[in-house]
Amino acid sequence: MTRLRLRPTTSVKEVSFLRRLSRVCAAVAVVLVGSPLAAGPAAAESYVRISGSGSSWSFNALNAWIAGVDQLGMRVDYDPSGSSVGREAFKNGTADYGVSEIPYGITDAGQPDPPPTRKYAYMPIVAGGSAFMYNLKVGATRITNLRLSGETLTKIFTGAITQWSDPAIKADNPGLTLPPRRIVPVVRSDGSGSTAQFTTWMASQYPSLWNAYCASAGRSTPCGTTSIYPVKAGSGFTAQSGSLGVAGYVKQETAEGAITYVEYSYALDTNFPVVKVLNKAGYYVEPTADNVAVALTEARINQDESSPLYLTQQLEGVYGNADPRSYPLSSYSYMILPLQTDKTFTKEKGHTLADFAFYFLCDGQQTMPRLGFSPLPRNLVQAGFEQVTRIPNLDDAQPPDISRCNNPTFSSSGENLLAQNAPMPADCDKQGPLQCGEGTGGAEEATPVAPEASGGEGAPAGDGGTAAGGEASAGGAAAGGPATGGAVGAGGTGVPVAGGTGATGGAPGSTGAGGSSTSGGTGAGAAPVVVDPDTGEVISGGGTAGAAGVGASAAGGTAAGGALAGAAGTGGTTTAGGTATTVGAAGAAGGGAVGGGVTQLAGAIPVSAAAAGGWGQRESLMALSALLLFATVLLPPLAAQLLARRKAGSR
Amino acid sequence: MTVVAVEPPHAEDVPRRLADRPTPADRFFFLFTRAGGLSVLVLMGLVGAFLTYRAGKALEQANIAFLTTEAWEPDSGNFGIAAVLVGTLLIAGVAILIAFPLAAGTALYISEYAPRRLRSTLISLVDLMAAIPSVVYGLWGFFLLQPHMLVVGQEGNGLVRWLATYLGWIPLFAVDGADPGDPLSTATVYTSSTFIAGVVVALMIAPVMCSVMREVFSQAPVGEREGAYALGTTRWGMIRAVVLPFGRAGMIGGTMLGLGRALGETIAVYLIISPIFVIQPHILQNGASSISSLIALRYGEASGFGTSALMAAGLALFLITLLVNVLASAVVNRSRSGAVTG
Repeated sequence: MTRLRLRPTTSVKEVSFLRRLSRVCAAVAVVLVGSPLAAGPAAAESYVRISGSGSSWSFNALNAWIAGVDQLGMRVDYDPSGSSVGREAFKNGTADYGVSEIPYGITDAGQPDPPPTRKYAYMPIVAGGSAFMYNLKVGATRITNLRLSGETLTKIFTGAITQWSDPAIKADNPGLTLPPRRIVPVVRSDGSGSTAQFTTWMASQYPSLWNAYCASAGRSTPCGTTSIYPVKAGSGFTAQSGSLGVAGYVKQETAEGAITYVEYSYALDTNFPVVKVLNKAGYYVEPTADNVAVALTEARINQDESSPLYLTQQLEGVYGNADPRSYPLSSYSYMILPLQTDKTFTKEKGHTLADFAFYFLCDGQQTMPRLGFSPLPRNLVQAGFEQVTRIPNLDDAQPPDISRCNNPTFSSSGENLLAQNAPMPADCDKQGPLQCGEGTGGAEEATPVAPEASGGEGAPAGDGGTAAGGEASAGGAAAGGPATGGAVGAGGTGVPVAGGTGATGGAPGSTGAGGSSTSGGTGAGAAPVVVDPDTGEVISGGGTAGAAGVGASAAGGTAAGGALAGAAGTGGTTTAGGTATTVGAAGAAGGGAVGGGVTQLAGAIPVSAAAAGGWGQRESLMALSALLLFATVLLPPLAAQLLARRKAGSR
Repeated sequence: MTVVAVEPPHAEDVPRRLADRPTPADRFFFLFTRAGGLSVLVLMGLVGAFLTYRAGKALEQANIAFLTTEAWEPDSGNFGIAAVLVGTLLIAGVAILIAFPLAAGTALYISEYAPRRLRSTLISLVDLMAAIPSVVYGLWGFFLLQPHMLVVGQEGNGLVRWLATYLGWIPLFAVDGADPGDPLSTATVYTSSTFIAGVVVALMIAPVMCSVMREVFSQAPVGEREGAYALGTTRWGMIRAVVLPFGRAGMIGGTMLGLGRALGETIAVYLIISPIFVIQPHILQNGASSISSLIALRYGEASGFGTSALMAAGLALFLITLLVNVLASAVVNRSRSGAVTG
């Protein structure tokens, strides 16, 4: 069977490069000073190559560590083919170490998972949050501030909520008007710890919803934790293999409306937003390193050293953590360590594994927040050191000095510093009528929210809506009216977004103009179509206008509603937010003139910002490889011809 | 080989007996080739026996339901190959339908129409295509073909949507949940489908098919070609009268070879499809399955019994591929070009 070896992503590479640079600097300093400061093993030490297999949830962390120990002469391989594969490979002895989010022995969909016969121990390696990465746009604007309650999330992933415009989602997001687009839940097709974590949470918090879905998918109930997500055919779900697979699927332009569960770092890597999940304190929070650290202070860690489950986690306390900063789906990832030598696992390998573990438990934790993980607290690092010394190795492995680890969670008092200093969530993240606009995950850009939800003093809730709506219809008429006659202003039903209000806290009145709806092209002007300016939803169809006409007008309405508003609202000055995309050249020109914004002409499809052009390194490489390909194809026959000709000539 | 006449004991009128006394080199060569031929058979037999042995536990429990059950949950005893087998055949069918005209056309162009100096370049180009690893085809299909050529943008523009819109009344091309009139309908229903996997597999098998066909076409007898020209046909007439009838067996044989490869294609399919375990006859719709990708997906994490069930699925695939190849060789051997080339 072939498995893919995945290459480290660029960001990880950059990080590792920086780390390497700092290491080199440190080494030079040590040589200059001449002090025996270097606690780590010397570069001359020879290591045996080791390989492991398992979770793709914590793959980005392991990848950074593997790059980090590379210059120490350690060659460590890791195959992120899923926790289930990792546990099985460790059991068979084909992997020197395994990485998994769930221990052996739990019942998976009613079937027990027997532990291996070789002696083993668990060790937490890093913490993180299972994030919900999604791909959703309203018109040309990407939504980056979606918030959902646990029940809504469960309903989405059990097929009970199928539309983004569902009232339950609207209730979580008072500042957004979402389109009636189908939700496409993307799940893992392989056996994975991410699925196990997520289904454990659903089984614990919303057992009736989860069991009902499980039963309808043909599983026996109670379903409980499962590593392989049950998928009903024809339900709109899509299954992909590996964390990279699901993240890669969601980020495609085609996959609009898709949502998946994946470790936070994948959303950071792909520059996509993640859902802010409602916690027990009534705040919507993001799985940042801080929030995960806060949540995990309530994790119950097995402290019985004689138990085979020593150091494993019980997460019920995390799900119910009442701290307003806690992210409910936080958890630790575990490494499974061999405690005895056998045919495949030698003491030399144990030596490498122990030094690798010492590295990532100590130095390796520093970079974790940047990658989207949360570092281990002091007590778990200490316990991890003790577990590592139990690995059979050449000499007595000595853990590094814990005070030199530079772990951001450590404090002199022993408290988890990261959890202690985690910032409180903003008021607009509290459950209620307000909603923050800031982007989440890897998506930096803010999403404009409706004025009544942006918390500005100029627009009291409920009142501002109608005021802005009134102006919107005027703007629409001015934009479309004089130009073609075929365009119909249909604004005023919903409240489009005023550019910049989310950030500044509401300019007085927040004049959200916009909401013009042009009918499908100037030629088909006879059939006006009424379109919700916020979402592009067709409210009353154009009768005989046909599918093409409807499609075009809906797209135009969406774009104008979402984007024109920013330009018009600022009262004649051109701002960055004011890029309007609309259908019909004349109507758009009129709108641009009235609003004073930047107008971009486009076809029937609303376009997002065009990619920056230019000739970079990637293009040069592609040209080079194309050249090489041509050379491989053309040179042999050419050479043969040349030789043949020469032979013929000499004859 | 030396042939020595042995003197008959009596000088009667009987045919003399011929005995050959091969040299040691001859004997070694004979034994070596025979061992090579036999070892292929032995290996095949061993693979079959191994699969049957390992599959025994699962087959015993599932019995005949193994052929009729659609779900794949071996640990709870509910498993069968009905869905994956149909999925495999559908993907292979799509692949053959696309690859056959492509391969036949390329082979004809290279052997009959291409300028002589271009020919060797084209041949090495096709051979290069055959040498690309299948995982590269899979990645290419997932990251380029699907999002940029077949299902483009949030509306999912492209061939798949066109087929679903205008040929959706044929059950095979129907897509549940697709509404071409709704601008907000999701394009994901067109992705990860049997059709897209089939297109990728088609591009993988076309070079192999093309090589076989080109080889056979180029062996069409020169005398007959010249004869056809002498009777005043055009080049296309000559191809129809001489090359295609002569090469028919090669075309069928090459197609069967391609089919065998398409049935067993693993990693490219694994990367593209969204696996489901029901019989899914809508080839344009999200969700597909195949035996080999099922094995790749579940092997690593399977328990003892799960592995046995996967082996049973593998055995089914093995038997089908064997059948296809036996049919192919029978067809090829019975024909004229097969007798020449085979």
